[in-house]
Amino acid sequence: MSLTSPRPPEAAEGRDRTSGPGRLLIAVYGIFAVSSTARASYQILTKFGEAPVAYLLSAFAAVVYIVATVSLARPGGTAYRVSVVAVLVELIGVLAVGAFSIFDAQVFPNDTVWSAFGQGYGFVPLVLPILGLWWLYRHRPSALDRMTIDVEPRRTR
Amino acid sequence: MIVDGFFLAGAIICLLSMLICVGAAILRQPPNDITIISVAVVELFLVVYAIAAVVRQLSGEPVLGEPWEFWGYFLTALLVPIGAFWWAILERSRWSNIVLGAVGITILVMLFRMEQIWDGVAGL
Repeated sequence: MSLTSPRPPEAAEGRDRTSGPGRLLIAVYGIFAVSSTARASYQILTKFGEAPVAYLLSAFAAVVYIVATVSLARPGGTAYRVSVVAVLVELIGVLAVGAFSIFDAQVFPNDTVWSAFGQGYGFVPLVLPILGLWWLYRHRPSALDRMTIDVEPRRTR
Repeated sequence: MIVDGFFLAGAIICLLSMLICVGAAILRQPPNDITIISVAVVELFLVVYAIAAVVRQLSGEPVLGEPWEFWGYFLTALLVPIGAFWWAILERSRWSNIVLGAVGITILVMLFRMEQIWDGVAGL
């Protein structure tokens, strides 16, 4: 009976996305948000002139991590779309900065989160957006709407 | 960086806490007294480490790197177990134990950086 009565899809979807493994994902994003913010603040406050491009990128990465953490932790369709964009930007960022830091070590010294594909952070910055996108794909609102409205429970999961 | 007693003690505490929490998660346990206490011990270590740092600082064994960078790291590290505890107890699932397990590895890395700063090795 409860399967046919449509639950508010956003509530169901939000709970699912922020629970279980999602909590670990959000926690790791949170750690990166805090550490990259602290690091970027330090770099910009003490030695901005040394490598302005790299330190601005540090700050940009910090903002991306903050947006990703908050949007992943919030239920609802808007938060979902924001988190997809944030995690995509993160993936592009780590790939672009990673590649540039190897070709041009002058502009990108080895001290942003994304330098050398996040080597200084055990390559977690490279793996994190891939896991994030996979998690978001698995918990996309459309798929969950279907699961909520389905009369027959799916057995393929 | 010089591997001193502080680093060894901290590393052992962090690794044990991580093993306990991840082990509990593998056994499909939600956060319990043992895993929460193991994280509390990490926090306690940080407090002891800070007191020792003040004493060393005052007794003529100063930070060779930037003192405010050291203390910035310390204050951030102090918040990690508290934040993880809060985040983990909001949902009683085994994944919350892995969140608690992330404290150990995070604090271990931060302790490594704090020790580097203390010995004046490498900049941020």
